[in-house]
Amino acid sequence: MSASTETTIALNEGVTEALSREAATARSAGEPEWMRERRVHAFDVYARTPMPTRRLEEWRYTDLGEKLDLASLSLGTRSEVADDPSAWPAGVRATMEEDWDAAAHVVLIDGTVVHVDLDEALAGKGVVVTSLRDAVNDEETWEDAKQYLATQAVKPERGKFAALNCALYLDGVYVYVPRGVHVDLPVRVTRWISTSAAAHFDRALILAGETSKVTYIDEVLSDDLDTHTFASNAIEVIAKDGASVQFVQMQRLGRNVFAHSQQRTLAHRDATANTLNVALGATTSRVDLNAQMLGPGSSSEMLGLYFGDGDQHFDHNTSQDHVSPHAFSDLLYKGALDGDAKAVFRGIIRVHPKAQQSDAYQTNRNLLLSETASADTLPNLEIAADDVKCSHGATVGQLDEESLFYLMSRGIPQEKAERLVVMGFLGEILLKVSLGGVIEKITREIERKLAHV
Amino acid sequence: MSDWIRVAALDDVPPGTLHGVKVERTAIVLANVDGDVYALRDRCSHADFPLHDGVLMGETLECVHHGAKFDVCSGKATGLPAIRPVQSYEVEVRDDDVFIRLG
Amino acid sequence: MPQNETVQDLQLDEYKYGFVDEEQHVFRTQPGLSEEVVRQISANKDEPAWMLDFRLKALEVYESKPMPTWGGDLSTLQETLDEIYFYVRPQDKMERSWDDVPANIKETFEKLGIPEAEQKVLAGVGAQYESEMVYHSLKQEWEDKGVIFDSIEDGLKNHPELFRKYFGTVIPTADNKFSAMNSAVWSGGSFVYIPPGVELETPLQAYFRVNQERMGQFERTLIIAGEGSRAHYIEGCTAPVYSTESFHSGVIEIVVEKGAHFRYTTIQNWSNNMYNLVTQRALVHEGATMEWLDGNLGSKLTMKYPSCYLIGEGAHGNILSIAYAGDGQHQDTGGKIIHAAPNTTSSIVSKSISKGTGRSSYRGLLQVHDGARNAKSNVECDALLIDENAKTDTYPYIEIDEKTAHIGHEATVSKVGDEQLFYLMSRGMSEEEAMALIVRGFIEPIAKLLPLEYAVELNRLIELEMEGSVG
Repeated sequence: MSASTETTIALNEGVTEALSREAATARSAGEPEWMRERRVHAFDVYARTPMPTRRLEEWRYTDLGEKLDLASLSLGTRSEVADDPSAWPAGVRATMEEDWDAAAHVVLIDGTVVHVDLDEALAGKGVVVTSLRDAVNDEETWEDAKQYLATQAVKPERGKFAALNCALYLDGVYVYVPRGVHVDLPVRVTRWISTSAAAHFDRALILAGETSKVTYIDEVLSDDLDTHTFASNAIEVIAKDGASVQFVQMQRLGRNVFAHSQQRTLAHRDATANTLNVALGATTSRVDLNAQMLGPGSSSEMLGLYFGDGDQHFDHNTSQDHVSPHAFSDLLYKGALDGDAKAVFRGIIRVHPKAQQSDAYQTNRNLLLSETASADTLPNLEIAADDVKCSHGATVGQLDEESLFYLMSRGIPQEKAERLVVMGFLGEILLKVSLGGVIEKITREIERKLAHV
Repeated sequence: MSDWIRVAALDDVPPGTLHGVKVERTAIVLANVDGDVYALRDRCSHADFPLHDGVLMGETLECVHHGAKFDVCSGKATGLPAIRPVQSYEVEVRDDDVFIRLG
Repeated sequence: MPQNETVQDLQLDEYKYGFVDEEQHVFRTQPGLSEEVVRQISANKDEPAWMLDFRLKALEVYESKPMPTWGGDLSTLQETLDEIYFYVRPQDKMERSWDDVPANIKETFEKLGIPEAEQKVLAGVGAQYESEMVYHSLKQEWEDKGVIFDSIEDGLKNHPELFRKYFGTVIPTADNKFSAMNSAVWSGGSFVYIPPGVELETPLQAYFRVNQERMGQFERTLIIAGEGSRAHYIEGCTAPVYSTESFHSGVIEIVVEKGAHFRYTTIQNWSNNMYNLVTQRALVHEGATMEWLDGNLGSKLTMKYPSCYLIGEGAHGNILSIAYAGDGQHQDTGGKIIHAAPNTTSSIVSKSISKGTGRSSYRGLLQVHDGARNAKSNVECDALLIDENAKTDTYPYIEIDEKTAHIGHEATVSKVGDEQLFYLMSRGMSEEEAMALIVRGFIEPIAKLLPLEYAVELNRLIELEMEGSVG
């Protein structure tokens, strides 16, 4: 046996009856051959990649052995819910009623697209908002899908869970904006999880043509579930030359959910790929976000906000890759932790050789509201070019006593004063976005959590 | 108060040895000191590695990963680099089975 | 500053300590590490049986641990380790007077300025050549006050109870692969005891010299600073430049008792063929202060993160780390502070320069345990890049389990500033001259240090540096 074939080791960690090669093949029923091959290849990568342990730097503070039990999960299946709001769970209707301003709506229940609508004028300009399944099959879109789906951004080789999602995703969202077209109102995606004890996989591919513009708001939510459930999601953003993409994810899943979102933005020459990740729900919430500054003049503003209580565990793993010169990235993640909640932030700025005149910044700030809350923060830098402006900072502390004292001296009761200070702390993030209904939802959810403080 | 849960047979953890088990995704290490069984969270308070990889000398568990030491009866750290205790659990041996209470 | 000085003129890249003495030794082990080598070292030192057991157990631990995959590039280290001498005994016994030290060795230390510095500014000096301390001396007045400053071997021999109480308790054998290696083959280093209440006015200095090609040096130092005492220990290190690689791995354990104040300064200027993998840790009790001043200028690769375990209320830890990475060098340095008690405070300041193909990495850990109320810590890292191929990394780990903790970390990376350059050039300097001036300012604390008799002056400068950054 030659050395090269020996290097492929079949580990099969995390391969179960539900999460199997057969399941990956079955998922591609009705899909073109290239997609079937892609899923099977992804599954093979999954099977031969060892399950991440705490020995891996990126999983140092999230113990999958204790937080995720793949063996207990069935594979999420297609939802049979009709394309009719009255048939949707109340939670979906409630959250959609609060949205205003939308160019398009997509509703997914347990990873199945049950509804899509798109402004007709935009459709007339060539904008596409559709289910990923349709995009893969439709003759107008399949070539782009074939080129970009899990090939450049969140491809199987990114890691065990990127591979698993590619192999087993049920459906997702495909957005295409042609060159020069500006989609002024957001594309609003509402993803609902209702089946517990299952592993749900969905993804999105957002393709912004040259100098186009689009905003994508992804809201994922559920009730509290009775048993351990896994919700995996992959987001691929490709901003071509001069394009501008704003991606927002609002995670309000219920307890017992392990939420995992893997996101990657590719910004080409002069393109902008901005992200906002809001994590409020789930028992364990892990976000992997990699921003690639691929072209000169590209930029990425990366915002994050989290509020944990009870036994919630949030893990944000971010990276900013400056591959080309003259690019800009700025990350600000802020979070408050109450109860026994724990937050992990691991961020890295990588300035690659020759990426001169990079401007890259990274800040993580944490507020501990209880004796038993904790925060681990690892803001890393790897700089291999000398003409750069890079800095990072991290803080962990409690409520600002001076602000509290000031508010209380003005007659505001302590409890209310504390809430105001927390809102003030987190509000810095919200001031940077103005998207119809988003701020209101986040604010209300934080206030609800604060009411228990 | 939570229930007693059977976690192992007494034979799984002979005197002078350690044995790792999982209870509802929580890893627990059992230690048998001359017939008395103790249970600790199976996670070193220094760097979170599993304690069941370590060695038991009398009532002292030495973590193999960085040399930290713990008193298995109380979970107290007795040797650097650990300073913090690890959680300990109530144990009962009934006939040939080991029960613990997560508490 | 003289006119027309350039960065090259600062001679950071010019190694002045690379001279070679004639090779002389009375005993050395076979190249490589084995149980036989460990037994020979122990037999050579005529140790008690428990120490041989300790070493053999450590060898097992060493062999069971994988080579680290983080930090610097250790991919070819094993080949180096298979070829080096783990133990070279240069002479039969340690001397108390320079006159008794063999001429060639004495000459080496004279060239390094040690006896002169001893006379002028030091309370005591220890000098290690290859694997053994060849000279150890403490001024009479301190000896009279009960201060012990001896080779580690004499510490074991003459103070067995004190030695055994603390040895291996701050840094257990299994702490990491190289602490295990050191525990198996340690030789040389200092044993220091400062009695309660004694305040040393001038520093103790240990000097480490490797002359033998393909040499591994494994000093082991144990320091106990008694209640309310005050002292400063300085170590310096140099070696000749060989085309083959050498290896240095020390273990430094320090116990700072209640209310004591201890400072440990390292001026590491190993030649650029040296792997320098060192574990240094201090256990800091109530109201005590530990300061690490860590200057890393030499070596091929240094991995070294001095740490303070603040286990008593009100304990304080300071780490000042200064690194210079020239062509082909990687300085992977930083520090660790563990806040395990209330009202503990700490500060880490790291400054690095990377030039040519050099790489400096800051790696730090800041931990606040639950119950360490009102812990305060601040970390600042500044990295300066002088060439487009130079690299710098910052890896701070911050783990906070205490609500009342107040923690900040900041890091900046810059190249030599255009504005500063422009200003200086507008005053008539060439770009190179202006650059040199800026770099000199950045590394002032260390550049002033060479040759070594200026250690004390360096220290004052570092102190000034700390004043601005602490509190």
